Amino acid sequence: MGKQKYATAVKLLILCPYLILLYILQATVFTRLTLFGVKPMLLPVAVVGIAIFRGRVEGGVFGLFAGMFMDMSYNQPTIEFTLILTLTGILLGALSDTVLVRGFPSYLLCSAAQLLLCSACQILVITVTTSIPVSALLPIAIRQTLYSLILSLPFYYISRFLAHII
Amino acid sequence: MKDFISKKGIYIAVAAVVVAIAAAISVAVSGGSSGFASLLSEPFFKPVKSAMTSLVNSLEHVYDYMYRFDELKAENDRLKAQVAELEQDYREYTEISEENERLRALLGFAERHENIVMEPASVLSWTASNFSSSFTVSKGSSSGVELGDPVITENGYLVGQVTSVTSTSSTVTTILDTTFRVGALIYESGDTAVASGDFELFKEGRVKLSYIGEGSGIVTGSTVVTSGSGGRFPAGLMIGKISGILVNSSGLDPYAVVEPSANVRECAHIYIITDFAVSE
Repeated sequence: MGKQKYATAVKLLILCPYLILLYILQATVFTRLTLFGVKPMLLPVAVVGIAIFRGRVEGGVFGLFAGMFMDMSYNQPTIEFTLILTLTGILLGALSDTVLVRGFPSYLLCSAAQLLLCSACQILVITVTTSIPVSALLPIAIRQTLYSLILSLPFYYISRFLAHII
Repeated sequence: MKDFISKKGIYIAVAAVVVAIAAAISVAVSGGSSGFASLLSEPFFKPVKSAMTSLVNSLEHVYDYMYRFDELKAENDRLKAQVAELEQDYREYTEISEENERLRALLGFAERHENIVMEPASVLSWTASNFSSSFTVSKGSSSGVELGDPVITENGYLVGQVTSVTSTSSTVTTILDTTFRVGALIYESGDTAVASGDFELFKEGRVKLSYIGEGSGIVTGSTVVTSGSGGRFPAGLMIGKISGILVNSSGLDPYAVVEPSANVRECAHIYIITDFAVSE
């Protein structure tokens, strides 16, 4: 019991600052560091890393908080990312616990899928609430996915390192 | 030895007397300076003196290094601290100077609009979304900020509107955002229209002016201000200038493209209008 508490405390001590750092980077630094005229999404990629290397429990919990931070960084009252990142955290964690090989190809594929899902949800919300056509939104969605995917490369090593020490 | 003194002593004494007299004459002739003596001693002493001087100089350097090192280090530290202090003063001066400029502009705006109550705020962060344009500011309901309050620059240029409020911060949706809409007035012609964010123009940082009549006197360069209709925004806030007049894809509805006067994407300090007199 004591060991379990200690392990949980270590996880919290490592993952909480990591999450806060990611949020600060996404909400401050990367709102200025645009590429192809778009800003990247860091938190969904980080969720993929934690879920793949740590499994469904850590993936889900990390996804829940990362989603909340993501919604906060988007200045939106909705909870779309809280839902998406929690569910994908659990799902990817469960897959990595059972069938998914914990390696770079799986991580990259899952990151791409995660980013496309986030972009698709954003497009869905915008097209439902406004009259903006999907064709106008798609180029931005693709560019933000590509930019985020480029940044996902360092997160693979960071996630793997964190997964090993917690 | 006794013989030596008795035999040679007289010669030595004579030689000494001669040398002494010669030296005395030489000193007297040269006006007190050691002319004869130096003439005799210079060839021998010059290199020795030179060597001694350089030795003493070297020793002095060593002495300086050893004994003045601490003093010089302290002085260096003091100067470094002084430079840092001056740099800090310069930074403060620059900040105060910028703030002064902003306040002067604000004073001009406030003098023209006495019925407007404003709350200054700083931009904390921008949205990370690529599909919207909003930012978080440092003032919330505890400072009297309410949902829907208009947001302007120090010059009175419209920036956006408060769309979310907490006790200590607020979210401002800018005029570039696709959800933003405001009643507008073409200052020169008096025509009314609606200024709104448009997704195509959003990337270029411009605003769409729609519902303009075909017979309206809108020309490129016209000034667009808020009309004040609806009571959400005070009348006369500068939105921007018309940079082009276009027709939509159906070819029926003309619309104008407005270049905002406020540099919306670079805003760092803004003013939230917490109260104003409605003039319908």
